[in-house]
Amino acid sequence: MNNDIHTKEILKPVSNSKQIVEKYPRHTLKIIKGNFAAAEAAKLCRVGFVPAYPITPQTSIVERLSSIVAAGELDARYVNMDSEHSVFAAAMGASLAGERVFTATSGQGLFYAHEVLHAIAHFRLPIVICNVGRPSLPWNIWSDQTDSISQRDTGWIQFYGESSQGVLDTIIQGYVISEKLDLPVMVVLDAFYQSHTSENVWVPDSDLVDEFLPPKKRNGNEIDLKNPKDYGGLVPPDHYETFNFQYWRDITKVEELTDEIGQKFGEYFGRKYSAIEAVNIGPKTKMILVALSTITSTARGVINNHPEVGLIKLRLFKPFPVKSILKAFENVPDDTIIINVERNFIGDKEGAIAHEMKHALYGKKNKMYDVYTGLGGKDVPPLTIEKIIEKGFKDPEEIIWIDFE
Amino acid sequence: MEPMNEFLIKEEQVFSGGLSCRGCGWALLVRHLSSILGEKTVYVLPASCFSIITGPYPLNELKGTIVHTMFAAAPATATGIRAVLDRQGNEDATVAVLAGDGGTFDIGIQSLSGAASRGENILYVCNNNGAYMNTGIQTSTATPYGAITTTNPGTNFKNTMPKDLMGIIAAHNIPYAATASLAFLEDYRYKIKKAKKTKGFRLLMIDGPCPPGHKTSPDQSISITRLAVETSLFPLFEVDNQKYKINYFPEKRVPVEKCMKLQGRFSHLFKNNSANVIQEIQDYTDHNWQRLNELHKQSSSN
Amino acid sequence: MLEIRGHARGGQGMVTAFEILAKICSQSGEYHVQAFPSFGVERTGAPIQAYLRIAKGTILNRSNVYNPHLVVVFDETLIEQVQVFNGLRKNGAILINTERDSKEFADHAHKVYTVPATKISLNKGLGSKALPIVNSAMIGAIVKILNSHIESAKSIVGENVPAKRKENEEAASIAFNSVVGNDKLNEYLLNLINQSEDDLTRIELHKETEAEEKKVNLKDLPRIPFWSQPISSNKTGSWRVLTPSYTEKPAPCTTNCPAGTDVRLFVKLTSEKKFDEAFKAIYNYNPFPSTCGRVCPHFCEQNCNRIELDEGLNVGAIERFLGDRSFENKFQKSKISFDEKIAVIGAGPAGLTSALRLTQKGYNVTVFEALPYAGGMMRTGIPQFRLPQEILDKEIKQIEDQGVKIILNKKVRINELKDDFDAVVVAVGSHIGSKMNIPNEEIVIDGINFLHNFKLKGDKFKLRKGDEVAVIGGGNTAIDVARTALRIGAIPTIYYRRTRKEMPAIAHEVNEALSEGIKIEFLTAPVKLNQNGKIDLTLIKMNLGEPDESGRRKPVEVKGSEKQIQVDKIIAAIGQRSDEYVFAGQKVKAVQGRINNDFGIPVFCSGDMSWGGTVAEAIGSGNKVAEEVNAFLEDLPFSNEKSIGNIVVPSDINFNYYLPTPRTQNPVRKTKNYLNNFEEVVKGLTENEIVIESKRCLHCGDCYNCGNCFNYCPDAAIFIDDENRLRIDYDYCKGCGICANECPCSAISFQLDEAVYE
Repeated sequence: MNNDIHTKEILKPVSNSKQIVEKYPRHTLKIIKGNFAAAEAAKLCRVGFVPAYPITPQTSIVERLSSIVAAGELDARYVNMDSEHSVFAAAMGASLAGERVFTATSGQGLFYAHEVLHAIAHFRLPIVICNVGRPSLPWNIWSDQTDSISQRDTGWIQFYGESSQGVLDTIIQGYVISEKLDLPVMVVLDAFYQSHTSENVWVPDSDLVDEFLPPKKRNGNEIDLKNPKDYGGLVPPDHYETFNFQYWRDITKVEELTDEIGQKFGEYFGRKYSAIEAVNIGPKTKMILVALSTITSTARGVINNHPEVGLIKLRLFKPFPVKSILKAFENVPDDTIIINVERNFIGDKEGAIAHEMKHALYGKKNKMYDVYTGLGGKDVPPLTIEKIIEKGFKDPEEIIWIDFE
Repeated sequence: MEPMNEFLIKEEQVFSGGLSCRGCGWALLVRHLSSILGEKTVYVLPASCFSIITGPYPLNELKGTIVHTMFAAAPATATGIRAVLDRQGNEDATVAVLAGDGGTFDIGIQSLSGAASRGENILYVCNNNGAYMNTGIQTSTATPYGAITTTNPGTNFKNTMPKDLMGIIAAHNIPYAATASLAFLEDYRYKIKKAKKTKGFRLLMIDGPCPPGHKTSPDQSISITRLAVETSLFPLFEVDNQKYKINYFPEKRVPVEKCMKLQGRFSHLFKNNSANVIQEIQDYTDHNWQRLNELHKQSSSN
Repeated sequence: MLEIRGHARGGQGMVTAFEILAKICSQSGEYHVQAFPSFGVERTGAPIQAYLRIAKGTILNRSNVYNPHLVVVFDETLIEQVQVFNGLRKNGAILINTERDSKEFADHAHKVYTVPATKISLNKGLGSKALPIVNSAMIGAIVKILNSHIESAKSIVGENVPAKRKENEEAASIAFNSVVGNDKLNEYLLNLINQSEDDLTRIELHKETEAEEKKVNLKDLPRIPFWSQPISSNKTGSWRVLTPSYTEKPAPCTTNCPAGTDVRLFVKLTSEKKFDEAFKAIYNYNPFPSTCGRVCPHFCEQNCNRIELDEGLNVGAIERFLGDRSFENKFQKSKISFDEKIAVIGAGPAGLTSALRLTQKGYNVTVFEALPYAGGMMRTGIPQFRLPQEILDKEIKQIEDQGVKIILNKKVRINELKDDFDAVVVAVGSHIGSKMNIPNEEIVIDGINFLHNFKLKGDKFKLRKGDEVAVIGGGNTAIDVARTALRIGAIPTIYYRRTRKEMPAIAHEVNEALSEGIKIEFLTAPVKLNQNGKIDLTLIKMNLGEPDESGRRKPVEVKGSEKQIQVDKIIAAIGQRSDEYVFAGQKVKAVQGRINNDFGIPVFCSGDMSWGGTVAEAIGSGNKVAEEVNAFLEDLPFSNEKSIGNIVVPSDINFNYYLPTPRTQNPVRKTKNYLNNFEEVVKGLTENEIVIESKRCLHCGDCYNCGNCFNYCPDAAIFIDDENRLRIDYDYCKGCGICANECPCSAISFQLDEAVYE
């Protein structure tokens, strides 16, 4: 990926717009919040149906979309639903009818919609949504990945955004992947640190997006009034496995397709993406941090002071990008240790990243350590990352709650 | 009632072979409904007996499109489908929810209320058979007072009156809501036609015979549902833009026990000296009927 | 390990039965058991399966039973529909709930057991014919085969059934003792149960059957869960136990008509305005519809099921309308195709009917009539104001037009005819009035004679204006006599020994007599009379006692209740008998049909002289005798017995589908003064009224395409065939019975028999 925005950009006044256009042709630079970037992406993807229900900290996504639709900037049906359960059920109906659908939710809303997530996935509906992560009760509205991670097994593809730019770009790519495989995509933003953080976003021109993501075409799976079908009725034991088998075939294609589409996206937009991003990983790496979303930005900064420390950013989290991880570890010595930075709590000794990394690296000799931090929105400043790097891990069985050290 | 002397269904929109029990209300309800709605219809089905009746993979009982959806969210799914059909220029297609009483009165009432409040252009059809029959006869809030279910067994029979869903739905200011009975097919078909023509959220509630659930003889399905009307346990009326109209006035109202006696789910009331319960049901029914008559009068006077 | 597989219908209790069996088998603690159903989505009546494993050690298989040692069939109709014996072990056994001989199933298994579980269960009131709950009985039978103890099994059954504990226990016990084919212990099965634990740990693989069940076609696997195959490949007819079928049932109007007229048919044709066809439908049985429409007591109306709803159908008016309408019709002369000649003695309704029928069949028939006019009692016994002569003339002319020869003024004896004819039908009627058997009876006028001579000769029997006339009797003759006397100017009073209810006279005739001002004294009988210028008539009060052989309560005199009145004339109308002149001195018992007396020619009796007493009965008698004569001459089989079947009664009718509609009554001409007024009293109905009235018919037992069965069938299993008839599609009919229940007119039967298309 192009790291310009994060590490190399120098703040200087822009004297004329031509300079910017040179940087990313057919783009406009905007300073917008992650939530607005998501709404902007939905607009650019020309979604036709947006069912909505408010929940902090997602609300401004659907608010923004309601304004966009009201202003006539997007030809879509925007519906104020009665719950997230209904939001997703409506999304399901609209998608079945053949429309490109977008919505956003967060925490409780995602939990509430849980059963519908399964249904959408197994109806094989190419829906893209944004989830702004927050945990469950006791009430907390701040950054936490437990909500989306607890939906890992619903069958949705999950991407975690690091920046507003990444969110916007990933939503566009998400539709391409989703519609290619008939699988739903969830793009996850960190609450506030991402959702409510205004930052530089290069917004592509809509005709450029149209070239990359043409309007949705009918493929025969949609409701066709002239060719009536039954969708999702009872499938007896002899046949149920069939649909799982086919689902499985397609889900195994996601990782490669993510890289392929990320590459192609680079060709169109000048910013390349892949399933994971390996930073500073090589034969001399002693330690590799594994993280999601905004923590990776801070970690990038901190490891600049530690040449022996590398970083793996998991952009694609589900299905877990096992091949990409193994590729990143090709030249990593056995004594390099792995530190998973968990901003999720799934009721287990280890966090979710540890589970996934262990399964990816099964058979590797590298020791793996698990660190909990930043739950319920607790800030993860560079010092926390530094503490992790300096911790001096001894026993992989010992799970570190870094904020309680 | 006069002999019909007519084959009401000119073009069958169902395939024979559906998995309904003998004497099932769902099957007949859908047969007539579909014959009027026609093939250009999307049926949205929350969990209910009908989601099984219509056929397991790879079979389909209906000539229209069927979308199965979550128990709680059929009107929401219908909302999405409706929106997109309209965008595609299919405003003339009907989107119809086919739900049971559990999916309507209980788990689905939120999304029902949501869709009704939004004025979604959806036809909602509730087959009210007064319990969760698909799961094997458990109490719903539509279960009549005095009835036995597997979750209200024996002397612990359902001891509250059923929810007044028609009152609730009428309070949503929708353009059309009506009750219908399979024993009064012409009235039912008139209401389907009217509901089909009306734009906006419409609701039809049909008294659904269920021989295994009501513990009745399958051949009695129509007779009993007719008695439900004759006793005013299930009066036939419509609410057309807030105006109430009773569609059928029994020549002589039959006592409720005549209808209840034919149903095994009430048999304990006749054995266990529960005349007071039967009387309460009679009183409640009378009260409802009177209230309905007043609404009818009010509506016809303005 | 023993593996059992059961086949039943949803709702028969098999899953519970296997669970109870598991409890029974494990009660000693010695055996491990496993009972479970194969959960399908089908509903009540659909074929289902359940499994039971019994072993001495831990059971190491939690999958379906593909290769059972014992197959148990709870419903024998499943054998035709489901592969119930699939995978059965070579030495395996089957147990079938059937009353059939176990030998019939010998092809299916090494060892066959049967038990009549349905019969046992229904006898105990368990379930219904449509869905007998046979689980307890089947448990008893399986317990027997497994050589277990019924007593402890019974108590486990009792503890585990939701209701009817005693009946279930008894059903199990009776079935235990009713298993056929258990002449010796099935050691094969018992050894399996008692296998050692070591044997159990080795799982047998039945690759073929298991693989077949699991076969998946990897090609063209669907990706997305939608589909569109019509469900009609699923033949739900296999769920059916009780079968509905369109069955025409006899209607009470038709079965009640002594003439045998298909009343339901002509009413239906009339309602469709097919008047000519309707007339033919009557005329096939009754050549006197105009007469009968006026004078018949209308047996057809008496049990009309419509009475239950409002009032019976006015069949008489319809008949009269059709008859009167036919006077414009031309009748073809019948062709003579037989050599045999037939003589009929008596030109009354029976004689003329039999003559017409035989003529129509192709015989040369001659009718001999003693009187100068034909018509018999219709002519002589029914007054003009009830039956105008010209009506009768026209109907007799229609008969003559078809080839019947009538010779009037010819009183004959049988022996005079034997040389010229091959058979004789005697139908001389009953024209001689019965006696009251009281002293001084010679001063009493015979009612039947009075009617005859007044009508045809104008003889008033010296009745004068203002005369008090006592009419004795309660039949039509009494009423006719009284009404005639009234018209002559007399003041008639009818004395009848029973009550209004027992009066044999036609009810509306009685009403008319009353409305004309005729008094009737009930429970009153004459005991004495004395000519004394006027006549002193002593009457006695009666009470009704025990019923006599006619079923009516017998009148008993009330002692000391005599009273004497004075009248000018007494006319008795208490019954009639036949003139035996025709038999030339032979003592004859004039039964209907051929009589045994030797006249040198076959003789058949018909009409009032043999049975009945009304025109309709005489016509029916004439029809029958014509059949018998023809059968005799042609040497064909003949039987007077007719099987009728189940006549439709009010409880068969679904009155919800009929709107109460009042009967259209015939208008009655009312006047203040009946003196010398012999105009017909009762008028006919207009065409429009007739059609409306005929549409009131309930169509008892006869499908009239009302559409209820079609409209109410939940399974869309009723269709209209090429000939526009309703048909049941037995591929899909589940046998719910709604069609039969909602059939307004009981034209659909619903029973255990399997229906077959003709």
